[in-house]
Amino acid sequence: MADYADLMQNVEGGKKDLVMTQVAQFLSEGRPPQEVLQEGLIAAMDAVGAKMESEEMFIPEVLRAAKTMEAGLEILQPHLAVGDVTVSGTVLIGTVKGDLHDIGKNLVAMLLSSAGFKVIDLGINVEPRSFAAKVEETGADFIGLSALLTTTMPMMEQTLEALETAGLRGRVRVLVGGAPVTQAWADQIGADGYASDAGAAIKVAKELGAVSS
Amino acid sequence: MRDRTPFEPVIQLRHLSDDTKQRIFDAALQVLADVGASVSHPEGVELLVRSGCTLDDSGLLRVPPSAVERALSTVPSSFALYDRSGSQAMTLGGNNVYFGTGSDLMWQYDVETGEHRPSGLDDIARVARVCDGLPNIDFVMSGAYPTDLGPQGVYLATFLTMMRNTTKPLVLVAENEVDLGAIIDTAADLRGGAERLREAPYLLAYVEPVSPLLHPRESIAKLLLCADAGVPVAYVPAPLAGATSPISSGGHVVQGMAECLLGLVVHQLRAPGAPFMFGVNQGSLDMVSGQPSYTAIESFMNYLTIVEMAKWLRLPNWGISGCTDSQAIDAQLGLEVAELTLLSMLLGSNLNHDVGFMGFGLTGSLEEIVITDEFVSMNKKLLSGVPAEDLDLAVEAIAGVGPKGHYLGHPHTRAHLRKGPGQWRPGLLNRDNRDRWVEAGSVDLREKARRKALAILQTDPPAPLDPGLLQRADARMNTLRRETV
Ligand code: B12
Repeated sequence: MADYADLMQNVEGGKKDLVMTQVAQFLSEGRPPQEVLQEGLIAAMDAVGAKMESEEMFIPEVLRAAKTMEAGLEILQPHLAVGDVTVSGTVLIGTVKGDLHDIGKNLVAMLLSSAGFKVIDLGINVEPRSFAAKVEETGADFIGLSALLTTTMPMMEQTLEALETAGLRGRVRVLVGGAPVTQAWADQIGADGYASDAGAAIKVAKELGAVSS
Repeated sequence: MRDRTPFEPVIQLRHLSDDTKQRIFDAALQVLADVGASVSHPEGVELLVRSGCTLDDSGLLRVPPSAVERALSTVPSSFALYDRSGSQAMTLGGNNVYFGTGSDLMWQYDVETGEHRPSGLDDIARVARVCDGLPNIDFVMSGAYPTDLGPQGVYLATFLTMMRNTTKPLVLVAENEVDLGAIIDTAADLRGGAERLREAPYLLAYVEPVSPLLHPRESIAKLLLCADAGVPVAYVPAPLAGATSPISSGGHVVQGMAECLLGLVVHQLRAPGAPFMFGVNQGSLDMVSGQPSYTAIESFMNYLTIVEMAKWLRLPNWGISGCTDSQAIDAQLGLEVAELTLLSMLLGSNLNHDVGFMGFGLTGSLEEIVITDEFVSMNKKLLSGVPAEDLDLAVEAIAGVGPKGHYLGHPHTRAHLRKGPGQWRPGLLNRDNRDRWVEAGSVDLREKARRKALAILQTDPPAPLDPGLLQRADARMNTLRRETV
C-alpha cells in the first residue's frame, strides 16, 4: 500500500508545486497512474468534502484544494488511458438570460468540479440558444441552469424548449437551481433535477448520472 | 400624512476617526482611478469620458479623484420625500432616521394561517396597508414579489398596488428604464405633471450595480432616467464580503464605495444637484455553507463603517433595519431586529429599509414589521435622551413628599404622566404579571403582533385614487406588456 497521506495533505493545503512534483515522482517510481488518481488525488478531495461537511474547512480553502488537485491531474493525464479518468461527466452551467446573479452558480460550478465533473461555465445572462449551441459543440452530459429572479425563471423553460427544438433534449440531464426555484417548478417545466444548494447539486448530478451511462 | 418632526437621536454612535475615514475614502478613490470599472452603457460611458474619465482597450473605465470631488460638490446633502397627497413626509440627510420595508420577497409567513407560502400581489397590498397603519414606519417598499403574475410589467403592477394601499412615500425597484419610466409617468400624473413630481418627489428608486465593479446597462439607464426626472435615486451595490468583495470590513466598504461613487459621478454629470442617496448593502457570505447573511455580526461592522462614511461625506444614506436571518418568527428574529434597528437609530442612519425581511431576504412577515414598529417607538424615547437644559430635577416634589411619603398622589407625577419623563406605553410588549397574563390567554409577542396586523387590515383603506389616473396607468401597463412580450 503506497503512502499517499502526504500527497493528500498537500492537496488539502493547496501546495500546488509540491503536488505536481509528488505526482511526477510517484509516476517515475512506477506507481500505476490509476492508483495515484484514486488513492491520492480523488481520496484527497473526498477528505476535503468531508471536512467541509464538518465545518473544518472553508469554501475558499476547498476551492484552492480543487485547483491543486486539477494541477496534479494535469501531470497524470498523459499517463491515463481514455476512460481511466472517471470524470463524472461534463456540465455546462450558466445563469439564464436577464439574470446577473452568479454567486450561487459559481459555488455550484466550483463544487461540481471538485467532485470530479468537468465544468464549462457560460457565465451570466445566457441565451437559451447559446445553451443549445454549446451542448452541440461540447457534447456535455449535464446542463445547470441558475435563476435568482422570479422574472427570469421562465427563461429556464425557454431553454428547455430551445434544447427540444435543436433535438438535444434527450442527450442531456438538466438541473435547475437558485433561490426562487423549487422542486415543484423543476417538475412543472420538466427539468431532470433540482437542488437547493451546491452540496445537494452534486448529489443530484451523481444520482442522475449522464444519459449515456 | 402628518408632516411630523423628523426623529434625530441625541445619543449617537461613531467609532471611526477622521483619519481612518480619510484613508477609506482615499482607497475608494484609488480603486476608481487605478482599477476602474466596467460600465455597460454607451451613453453613460460617453458622459464620463467627456468629463475626464478614461476608457482603456479592455473596456475598463477609470475615474479621476477630481471627478468624484466635483460630483460631491454638486450633490445635495439632503432631500425630501413627499406622501401621496403631496405633503412633505421625510427629510433625508443629517441624522434623521426613517424606517420602511424591503422589496421583492418570494415567500411569506401567512398572517392568517401561519403557513410559509409563495408571495402574491395581495401580499403587497397587505404590507402596504399594515405599514400605512403603523406610526413608526415612514416609507414603503413592496415587501413581496407577486409570483402570481407573469413577468411582464410586474413592477408597475406592484407600484399601483402600493399606491392604492398606503399614502406613505414609496421606494421602488424596477427592471429597467422602460418600466421605471412608466412608474415615473404615473407618479407625475398623480402630482399633476412632471414638474410637480420634481418639486415634491413621491418615490425614490432603488438601483444596484453588480459587485465587483460592474455597472450593467439597465442600472445606468435607470440612474440617468432618475437624474432627468429629478426623482431621488439610491445607487447601492450589494457586495457579499468574501464572495463579491474583500472579506475585510475595510475592503468591503472601499469597493462598495467605489461602486456607489461611480454612480454618483454619472448622475451628477447628467443633472448637477439632482437628489442622490449613498449606500452599500452590508451582506456577507457564510464561508462554510455559502449562504448569504444580512445579519452576520461582521456585516454589522461593515454597516457601521458605511454609515459613518456617509455622514463624513455629508450624503443622505441608505440603511437597513428590522431584518433577520432567522427562518422562524422567533427569539432570533427579535434579537437581530433589535440589534440592527438600534444600530441604525444610534448611527442616525437615514433611510432604513428591509423591515420585515426574514431568511436572507427571501421570506416576509407582517408580524416582524409590527414588532419593529414597536421597537422603534420605544427607542425614540430612549434616544431622545435626558434633556440637559430642561432637566426636571424635581427638588420641590422631593421636598413636598419628604421621607416615608409617596409620589403616586403628588401633582408632579400626574403632570408628567403623558409628557417629558413620563412613561412610554408598550403596545405589544408584556408587562402583565403571571396571573393576568395567563388569564388573558398566555399570548406571546408573535401572536400579539399577528393580531395587531390583522386589526390594521380590518381598518378602512386609504381614499381611492382618481379613476382617470388608474385608467391611464392601465394603458401604460398594456403598452408595457406589449413591448416586453
Ligand atoms: C447578492 C444579490 C444581488 C447582487 C448579485 C451579485 C452577483 N454577482 O451575483 C446584485 C446587487 C447585483 C443584485 C441585483 C439584483 N437583485 Co438581487 N440579490 C442578491 C441576494 C442578496 C443574494 C444572492 C446570492 O448571491 N446568494 C448566495 C448564493 C450562494 O445563494 P444562491 O444564489 O441561492 O445559490 C445557491 C442555491 O440557490 C443553489 N443554486 C443556485 N444556482 C443553481 C443552479 C443549479 C443548476 C443548481 C442545481 C443549484 C443552484 O446552490 C447555490 C449554492 O448553495 C439575493 C437574496 C437571496 N437571499 O437570495 C437578492 C435577490 C435575489 N435579488 C433580488 C432583486 C429584486 C434584485 C434586483 C432586481 C434589484 C434591483 N434593485 O435592481 C437586481 C437584478 C439584477 C439582475 N438583472 O439580475 C431579489 C429577487 C426577488 C424576486 N422575487 O425575483 C432578491 C431575492 C432580494 C430581495 N428580496 O429583494 N442582487
